[in-house]
Amino acid sequence: MRALDYVRAGSVEQAVDAHSKSQTAFFLAGGTTLLDLVKLDVMPADQVIDVNHLSLKQIEVQKDGSVRIGALVTNTALAYHDYIVAHYPVLSQALLSGATTQLRNKATTAGNVMQRVRCNYFRDGYSPCNKREPGSGCAAIDGHNRSVHAVLGTSDQCIATHPSDMCVAMAAIGARVEVQGAKGKRSIDFLDFHLLPGSTPWKEHALQDDELITHVVLDAPLANSKSGYLKLRDRASYQFALASSAVILVMDGDTVRDARIAMGGVGTRPWRALEAERALKGATLTSQNMEKAAAIALQGAKPYRHNAYKIALGQQAIVRNLSTLTA
Amino acid sequence: MTDSSMIGSAPRRIDGRRKVTGTAMYASDHHLQNMAYGYGVFSTVASGKITALELDAARKSPGVLEIFHHGNFPPLYHNSALPMSLAQILKAAKSDESRLPFEDETVYYAGQFVALVVADTFEHARAAAYKIKVSYSKNTAVANLDQGMKAGKLQDGSPNHNRGDAGAAFDSAAHSIDATYTTPVETHNPMEMHATVANWEDGRLIVYEASQGVVAHRNSLAKIFGLIPEKVEVRAPFIGSGFGSKLWIWPHSVAACGAAKVLNRPVQLVVPRQQMFTTTGHRPQTRQRLRLATDDKGKLVSVRHESINTTSFTDPFKENCGTSTKSLYSCANVSVTHKIIEVNRGTPTSMRAPGAAPGLFALESAMDEMADKIGMDPLAFRKLNVSERDESQNLPWSSNHLQECIDQAAERFGWSKRDPKPGSMKDGNEIIGYGMAACNWDAYRTPAEAQVSLRADGTAYAICGVQDIGTGTYTIVAQVVSSITGIALDKIEVELGNSSFPPAPVSGGSWATASVLPAIAEATRQAIEQLKAFSTAPKGVFAGTKADQVSFEQGQLKSGEKTFAITDVLKAQKQASAFGEAKTGMNDTSKHSFRSFGVHFVEVRWDPGISRLRVARVVSAIDVGKVINHKTSLNQVEGAIVMGVGMALFEATEFDERDGMPVNNNYAEYVVPVHADQPEIDVILLDYPDYELNEFGARGIGEIGITGLAAAVANAVSHATGKRIRDLPITLDKLMELPPTMSA
Amino acid sequence: MTDQPDNKEPACDLSAFTVPSRRNFLKSIGVSGLAAATAPMWAQALEAQAAVPDDTDAPAKDERRMTLKVNGQAHTLNLPANAALLDVLRDRLQLTGTKKGCDHGQCGACTVHINGAAINSCLSLAAMHEGDEITTVEGLAQNGKLHPVQEAFWEHDAYQCGYCTSGQIMSAVAMLQDKNIGSDDHSVREAMSGNICRCGAYKNILAAIQSARIKLQEVT
Repeated sequence: MRALDYVRAGSVEQAVDAHSKSQTAFFLAGGTTLLDLVKLDVMPADQVIDVNHLSLKQIEVQKDGSVRIGALVTNTALAYHDYIVAHYPVLSQALLSGATTQLRNKATTAGNVMQRVRCNYFRDGYSPCNKREPGSGCAAIDGHNRSVHAVLGTSDQCIATHPSDMCVAMAAIGARVEVQGAKGKRSIDFLDFHLLPGSTPWKEHALQDDELITHVVLDAPLANSKSGYLKLRDRASYQFALASSAVILVMDGDTVRDARIAMGGVGTRPWRALEAERALKGATLTSQNMEKAAAIALQGAKPYRHNAYKIALGQQAIVRNLSTLTA
Repeated sequence: MTDSSMIGSAPRRIDGRRKVTGTAMYASDHHLQNMAYGYGVFSTVASGKITALELDAARKSPGVLEIFHHGNFPPLYHNSALPMSLAQILKAAKSDESRLPFEDETVYYAGQFVALVVADTFEHARAAAYKIKVSYSKNTAVANLDQGMKAGKLQDGSPNHNRGDAGAAFDSAAHSIDATYTTPVETHNPMEMHATVANWEDGRLIVYEASQGVVAHRNSLAKIFGLIPEKVEVRAPFIGSGFGSKLWIWPHSVAACGAAKVLNRPVQLVVPRQQMFTTTGHRPQTRQRLRLATDDKGKLVSVRHESINTTSFTDPFKENCGTSTKSLYSCANVSVTHKIIEVNRGTPTSMRAPGAAPGLFALESAMDEMADKIGMDPLAFRKLNVSERDESQNLPWSSNHLQECIDQAAERFGWSKRDPKPGSMKDGNEIIGYGMAACNWDAYRTPAEAQVSLRADGTAYAICGVQDIGTGTYTIVAQVVSSITGIALDKIEVELGNSSFPPAPVSGGSWATASVLPAIAEATRQAIEQLKAFSTAPKGVFAGTKADQVSFEQGQLKSGEKTFAITDVLKAQKQASAFGEAKTGMNDTSKHSFRSFGVHFVEVRWDPGISRLRVARVVSAIDVGKVINHKTSLNQVEGAIVMGVGMALFEATEFDERDGMPVNNNYAEYVVPVHADQPEIDVILLDYPDYELNEFGARGIGEIGITGLAAAVANAVSHATGKRIRDLPITLDKLMELPPTMSA
Repeated sequence: MTDQPDNKEPACDLSAFTVPSRRNFLKSIGVSGLAAATAPMWAQALEAQAAVPDDTDAPAKDERRMTLKVNGQAHTLNLPANAALLDVLRDRLQLTGTKKGCDHGQCGACTVHINGAAINSCLSLAAMHEGDEITTVEGLAQNGKLHPVQEAFWEHDAYQCGYCTSGQIMSAVAMLQDKNIGSDDHSVREAMSGNICRCGAYKNILAAIQSARIKLQEVT
């Protein structure tokens, strides 16, 4: 780890101000992504701004039933929060399927939103990688791309998956990301927050320079909904998703009144499958219709050398999740 | 005279308190006065030459003491490349990678040491290392076995074996199969990273090393630094396991010792986890072709096992894949061949059950395929063909209870409930598969030496240059002393893992127990002999009695009706202790063949709806001779099964085909089993002493548990899914039914 | 230096570097100390925290003065900002029970408690934990009496090489106090999956934890 300067921020304003004074300053929350990548010298931090002492640790249930989550709420605290467990089981399950007990105790809500890709060519520090070194190329496209590479939302510049489970649940639930910068506060639709790699894979999110995430506000839970998260991987725990699905269902007898589907492990960002949702709404939840919706969700997927199986696995994650929720 | 209840009991470990309190000292836990910290710079090409090193920025970095590289590292002596013989193991100086670090500007593999920064703190060393820029002229890398076959020439590997005429018998046989199996590079990944703390004191080199063999490591350092062995001491009181990766010296240890010498202060160097995948050995990639044939009754008439393993461009590492094929099953016509091929990777080394682990994956998968072909139950097919004697050497087995292993484990597992039709056994969403495979490992015994003192304060003290690599050696040494002297375990002090102690072999090959315990026992008896001599000497408790009229019974010296405790005998002579030492030798391999045997039964569960494969249950029966400590022995086999699950389902160190660079060299992407993968495991230890090997009848137990496990899983997977996977690991994508358009 | 006839890059002049005196200590518990011990080494209580003196000199240019509270004891140290908590515990406070297995949050060997919660100390800067209660494996036993989880790990042979053991125990102790985590075997296995044991002693670790659970219930 390179030598760096450490600043402990006492307020959001202070944090933002410190950040604006340096090109190589990073906000430090749990540190589970940042310090990992600083040690690898992939995130070349000369300064870290410790935001852990800001008062952004509350989970506030609002009058309309939506919930405002402080940026520093840990994954553990969020996963076990009574209101989350009761009204957003998909989020609680997604959080608990991610990482490990220890990492969830450190990892924060905002940090998880800002998680970086797990592509080894990004992490190794020397391979061509457009995220790490714009214009250098993408070693993953024709390289080893079995486990942490996408089939949806890829470009000829980058194919790495967004690794978060939490974000997949949030993409299904619907949320807004509240940020604060030198120019003031604003909020960003969760589905607009993470950017497709396109021709600018180094631009991963919609934050402006010096903006700090302060909260994530979840949409109010769908009335009478059931939800769940299903994560598929090689080993049974402590691994990023090969494919996962977050599903929220509102049923009217056998008919789907409303459905939300998002996927992890297959997309370059937390992947909301709006077309698949449309196909389900108003349909009877037969296995044929579930498979049809799943196929729609993976329509247009582009397989790479080692990850073609994800197109099928992603569909399985959706179908099994749907059928388990209605069993 | 022996308290036999101590041998074969299950006491908790005598070093357990240290392990649970964090006071067991591993190599990098030793912080010496004025110690500096090293941090490596590793090659980012797999083949080429260093053309430039930009060191200025790093030199100016705070705390930097020196930066070593091929331009300034002191010239040293090469370690011997002689093949190791068990008879000479106490004198062995051996490197699997004989090239010294910083020897020249050539890069043979990714992750090779190209520079070493030494600074006053770890933080300073690492920060400076990141400032070094290395330029290379790059050669086309030979990235894998296939590329090696195209680029180079096969060389001879492990010894071949030939009896009868396997070709002719195959051609005229009633039934036959011909299948090729492949296994990937696997990395040991012990929890403790390789580490060296090197310190020169008055021309003596004292090293704390993560080593499975302090004596061999000492011998190697002595050779490399041009010293007599007595000038070097290697200490490894505890090591965070090794699984073979810490048997022999690797470049980091030479680098640390060289740096400490030049800087004249202690240097600590830890090899980062990423480089454990490159510069500290691995299990090589293998390709194995198996051709089996039977007569119309299912009796094997031809067995051919041809294997190729990858090695480095610097050293010929030979994976002995056919070691079990020669003798496990009875067959008149057998041909086993081994070849090696060079690739741009670091040098491989022994990894838990070298040869047998990949070899039995192939053989025991092929045995199942053969049974399928002739429509026989795989269990019955094996029982029909198990060999009664070692036909490769034409010797009887010292002890072989494989048939009983199969019967006991089959009963416990419920093999009789197996419906042979693939995919026929279901439970909810899951399809159940049952598979079995034999396990097999050599039983060795090497020379060893030990010293034991019986002390006047009622305690005993035993020392030996063997290591406890996590297997429980400390405890079984104490058990042996206790069994002979009657002294309680908590009054027996054992020290191991120091090359200045009486020499003992590397802890590998599952030979430590069989080799060292006889030396401990003999040294204990010698101490008792001295005790007897004390008792009959003038002023002794039995003064005037002839020594042969004194016996040692139930922890006391006895003559006639009189008995005296050890402490009384010593006090009467004002002696602090009675001392014994022993040198014990090898077993007689001219009359018997020595191997351990066993069997795994595995239940897998395949959920095709979500492509989830898991190992749900393992029942194993293992015949390793007498079990000295049931607690630690069961733990060894259970742990080997867990590693076998990793080998079967997850583990593969991958290299980019384009440039030979590692692509999953970390503990997240190299997938090993975690708690949640733990199957239900039930291990039966048969416990028949093998007195041909040693007085305890104990063979080793560390490796056998992993052998055959991957085959048992593959066989169970075949039973569950109807798919035969011949390419490890059996990842879920290999089992999925993908439409043709999806197979990119 | 006479050993390097081919040396094109002369070694640095060591006199140019002052070695801070505070690092000139020898760890009190070492093998040489053990060899000299007269009582059986296994019978000795060795978990006593090594006494490491506070830094009294002024921090160097790249350092800052920090106070860390570890196992109830405050330590004032001059540390660089990039010092990971794990490295400070091991290299500076000599609390080497906490192990480095990967340095990237991928193995769990470095698990310690921060204010009672288990975390990976490799992914924390020491500077982040000024003001926190830091507990390491050395802080579990009280007056030489092992914590029930330590006792259970010993009894059930819940280790082999012992290198992951401190982390396993720290995770287990935190988990047994966590009402959110179920007491069934499946929940324990999942909650403990952040601690890799390459020796594969998972079966015994589970047995140890479940037996310690009963002991802890009896105590309370």
